Amino acid sequence: MSSTSQKHRDFVAEPMGEKPVMALAGIGEVLGKRLEEKGFDKAYVVLGQFLVLKKDEELFRDWLKDTCGANVKQQGDCYGCLKEWCDAFL
Amino acid sequence: MALSEKSNEEISKLLAKYDIKHGPIVDTTRKLYEKKLEKVMKSAPVQSSPDKTYYREEAEEITYITYHQSSPVQAVYSDMLKRRGNVEPDEAKESDQGTEPPIQSTNRAANHSTIRSGELVRKSGGWSLWKVIRLLLLLAVLAAFLYYSYCRLNDIENPFAIQ
Repeated sequence: MSSTSQKHRDFVAEPMGEKPVMALAGIGEVLGKRLEEKGFDKAYVVLGQFLVLKKDEELFRDWLKDTCGANVKQQGDCYGCLKEWCDAFL
Repeated sequence: MALSEKSNEEISKLLAKYDIKHGPIVDTTRKLYEKKLEKVMKSAPVQSSPDKTYYREEAEEITYITYHQSSPVQAVYSDMLKRRGNVEPDEAKESDQGTEPPIQSTNRAANHSTIRSGELVRKSGGWSLWKVIRLLLLLAVLAAFLYYSYCRLNDIENPFAIQ
């Protein structure tokens, strides 16, 4: 797997608490805003969606693409970030 | 019968049918699963397509059998077969007991051509149909011989009118 970004490392280092959705790796300002508009204003809400999809990579990527228009890299970053966070804290 | 008109449970059942691991069907997940189902349904139109080829093989087997059964294997024996195929055999010829089930099922396959009997047909087909027919012939001859000797024993002259 490719090296992770600082954002990724920061996110998976601790429980997410009330972190905004833009704290997720792969989710910048533009995507973050689109997600907030759809009601996913906190990272834990996206986590909820991730879990409801049973942590399935393909489905989560599709959902992310449909919901905020994330490209392949952004999808991968977000998925990896959430997966690692779950492995550590869930 | 569009996917969007189906209930959440129906979607869940369809997903299970195509062996797609899935989570709960809720508002946020439903669309994703519908998309997935459409993709799968397009690539594999009928889930049971392998079964279709299976059935086609059976159809071939069935026609093969009907052809050979109609050909004169032994006039008497085929008559017996036809009678036995429709009615349960009362007279139990000892040597025939073992092979009767396959005969009956193959006969039924010829008449009804259902899948279940086709399975038995397929099994016997694997064992080579000719072997089965040869064995039946042998048993018929043996049965005739036994009957003849039995009648001779009971002092019935010429049961088959053989001079």
